[in-house]
Amino acid sequence: MFDLLPHLLNGLTLGLLFALIALGFMLIVGLMEQINLAHGSLFALGAYLAMQLMGSRPPFPAELAKAWIALPLGWRYAATLVIAPIAVGIVGMAIEFCMRRTYGKDPLYGLLLTFGAAMVIEETIRLIWGTRDYVLQVPQAVSGGFLFGDLIWSTYRFYAAGIAAAIIGVVWLVIEKTSFGATVKAGAHDSEIVRALGINLTRLRLLVFVLGTMLAAIAGIIVAPIWGIRPHMGVDAVIPAFLVIVLGGVGSFWGAVVAGLLVGLCVGLSGAYASEWSLLSMYILLVAVVTVRARGLWGKKSVLEA
Amino acid sequence: MTSTSPSLSSDATRLVTPAMLVLWLVLATVPLWISRVGLYPYLGIEILIWSLYALAFNLVLGTAGLPSFGHGAYFGIGAYAFGLCQFNVAANLWVCLVAAFAVAGLAGALVALFISHRRGIYYAFMTIAFGQIFWTLAIKSHGITGGEDGLLKIARLPADFGVVTFDLADNVAFYYFVLVVFALAVVAMWRLTHSPYGRVVAAIKQSETRAAHLGYHVWLYKASIFTLSAAISGLAGGLFAMAQLAAFPDVMSLHQSGYVVMMTLVGGGLVSFWGPVVGVFVFLIARDVIGALTNAWMLYFGLLFIAIVLFRPEGIAGAVTAAFQKHSLIRRQGNSAMRLLFGAERWR
Repeated sequence: MFDLLPHLLNGLTLGLLFALIALGFMLIVGLMEQINLAHGSLFALGAYLAMQLMGSRPPFPAELAKAWIALPLGWRYAATLVIAPIAVGIVGMAIEFCMRRTYGKDPLYGLLLTFGAAMVIEETIRLIWGTRDYVLQVPQAVSGGFLFGDLIWSTYRFYAAGIAAAIIGVVWLVIEKTSFGATVKAGAHDSEIVRALGINLTRLRLLVFVLGTMLAAIAGIIVAPIWGIRPHMGVDAVIPAFLVIVLGGVGSFWGAVVAGLLVGLCVGLSGAYASEWSLLSMYILLVAVVTVRARGLWGKKSVLEA
Repeated sequence: MTSTSPSLSSDATRLVTPAMLVLWLVLATVPLWISRVGLYPYLGIEILIWSLYALAFNLVLGTAGLPSFGHGAYFGIGAYAFGLCQFNVAANLWVCLVAAFAVAGLAGALVALFISHRRGIYYAFMTIAFGQIFWTLAIKSHGITGGEDGLLKIARLPADFGVVTFDLADNVAFYYFVLVVFALAVVAMWRLTHSPYGRVVAAIKQSETRAAHLGYHVWLYKASIFTLSAAISGLAGGLFAMAQLAAFPDVMSLHQSGYVVMMTLVGGGLVSFWGPVVGVFVFLIARDVIGALTNAWMLYFGLLFIAIVLFRPEGIAGAVTAAFQKHSLIRRQGNSAMRLLFGAERWR
């Protein structure tokens, strides 16, 4: 049993990261009934921007760059966690402006539009940064490792899992406990009535979409030190995110979180015994669950299954 | 799709339509001029194979309205089946092509068992999940598929008709062979989509619930059209293995599965039988022409794709049809040459 414990812990931290990656995707699927396939590219874009900001050549005018580099690493990291998602949010805004035209049509069009956007963003990343791998610097306080039992644990994994849990909590509070969340949920449920109540639904949707893309960027920055930064990371993120949502069921917040944890445990445990095949395990998990439950774990009825 | 029109138009009952004849004739002349316009015969082969694949894919997406995003798996399985059959069973062209068709069909049937009761996003993601499973299997089973290096040294077997035997090693000869397979498959798929069976499938696209209430076994239709589409994709995959002289796992990746969706939609597969073919032409020629000018051709194609989804969601075929319908004069002259070619209003 004790042999299993490290793998379980590893799986749980991984699961929290999967849930974090899926969070922005879930926000857009759950509240707008739109599938954002550009999620992975925005995730990657966030990581690349953070890498550029944390590296030796920040994308600022010369003087500002000097002042920026003079800042302590911790402060720069904290600022990066704000600046990069905002920049990605602006890209998200542009996508939403296009996506608007597909509302009310077959959800397939939104999916295809974002697939096109994903292609464009990925190619742009490749044009700017090339195909090589990068490493994201993180402050000393959260890097390195510590001894526990007889094993060395990576500090960053626990830091990342903690941040993921915190962000999941904040998003839950915003959706479930604020009037903003209530309005957004009502808008997804019955857009006509919400409009009739004098609420600007167009602005609301823009806001939700931008929040979703910013969450993608934050997930990218948090996950980057573990997975590394390379052009393929976008695809590596969007598929698990999509999977977690389908497994948890569209429209269910805790479904997605539980699904994220399940996928993490599954990948973590299978990774311990058959690392070659560990990525396969999450697909088998999905097939097993969706074969039995038509709407994933706790999915609700939505236009996405018309 | 043609089948949405209430009355059967004359083309729908035909085995071979004028549009098919014209297309085949044009395609038959391709080896004569393709080198002179700066392209190369291999591109012609690629276009035909991908057209076959996209038409097969469109049985699922366009005719049945089922979002399948992991179709590359069946194309790839067909390619591997062709190669493995050649190495381990019999080095006979017909046996190997049948193997490609059958094995991919079998894989499709297996997947169809799991997914045919699912709808929308759940259906779509199940197809992705199975696609990823097959892709991972292809990459990790080094002993069988050669892993990421691919299955190499697949030969273009000669086409043996008993009395005569054609050697297909040359690109031009192989092009004509692929053209014949393509033509036969097009006839089969045209008949299929315009048969009573095809019309039920099209009805399921409009409303699954309504079709079920009319007493059709929606599940059976969804499963069978998916299986058939997978099998024909596998046949295309077998031809592709011959063309490339190898089978690689990359055609099974999510990206490549996405490309066939793009080709089908850019061309207008949702509204037209020929849409996928148009899409493949545009995609592959754009790849070569834009790709010769810049490395980032996917960037420009992505932008084009976004523009099409936004402004012409019915694709190129749909745009052409719409342009035709504005010219009511052409519309009234029932036998104008262009209508003969495209069957303008029947595209709807």
